[in-house]
Amino acid sequence: MRALALFVLSIVACDPVHRDEVSALPGEVPGVPHGPTHRPGQPCLLCHSGDFSVAGTVFVNPDDRTGADGVSVSLLDSQGRTFAATTNSAGNFFVRKDDWQPIYPMKVSIASNGITTPMTADVGRDGSCASCHSDPVGPNSPGHVYTSTDGGVP
Amino acid sequence: MRLRSILAPLFVVVACTFPSSTATNTATLPDRATFPAVADLLGKRCGTLDCHGSAYRNLRVYGSLGLRLVPLDRPLSKGQTTAEEYDADFESIVGLEPELMSAVVQQGGASPDRLTFVRKARGSEHHKGGSLMQAGDPEDACITSWLSGKTNVAGCASATAAAF
Repeated sequence: MRALALFVLSIVACDPVHRDEVSALPGEVPGVPHGPTHRPGQPCLLCHSGDFSVAGTVFVNPDDRTGADGVSVSLLDSQGRTFAATTNSAGNFFVRKDDWQPIYPMKVSIASNGITTPMTADVGRDGSCASCHSDPVGPNSPGHVYTSTDGGVP
Repeated sequence: MRLRSILAPLFVVVACTFPSSTATNTATLPDRATFPAVADLLGKRCGTLDCHGSAYRNLRVYGSLGLRLVPLDRPLSKGQTTAEEYDADFESIVGLEPELMSAVVQQGGASPDRLTFVRKARGSEHHKGGSLMQAGDPEDACITSWLSGKTNVAGCASATAAAF
């Protein structure tokens, strides 16, 4: 088991594509401990693919990166199985693999202040919200997920 | 004399190895006019930003739900897929295996599973996105009807609406 783990670790550690992707991420913010509130808005599964099946961040506004606390994130997979998660003080949420793993495609909706907003498209295969919902907004990204006064999500 | 006897067959070999610079292949393409009905299905089932709605995929799918062609257009904007995006989708899909697709179209859509994108959608060939449709189901029938030259536009629309 240990040998297998070392072998897998060596492959991951030697993957230059993965290494470059991780290196390109913004670093830790001073004062924020490594844990559930760190690195909001980054593609969580890039590092946490072994632990999480789905993870991401919900912000308050489209124009800044203040985390939205207490947002309900509802997930529905192609087999009709559901799971609900709630964002923490940083706006982060995560679903542990032991608790739920979707069979893609997956539908997502967020609920905040009594307003539920479904994502317009399905998630095809990537459990990191930020893989697609990255900043800046552009032809290949709707920007980060946010709750606004009208409950909108890009 | 000896050199000449060596060069002559060598010239023949070289001349026969390289194709004519003016040679062209003519492909028979599936119908472009009815393609938007198929593209809407592809956009919904294949074109999410984390799948084929990416500039890094061989099969690149543009559309209002995913990757946009014009820099100022936005994904998930609830707008319409543009005519230019349908053109780009069409070029993307017919350019994958043009000779094979031409053969399938010329033969009225026979054995569509000769095409890699059909096999991948059906899951009969490794596909990171898994098996999305089964042979003969409404989504598969939409694609194969297009390849046969008799696009079931209404069937494609209902398959798109019913897709998960």
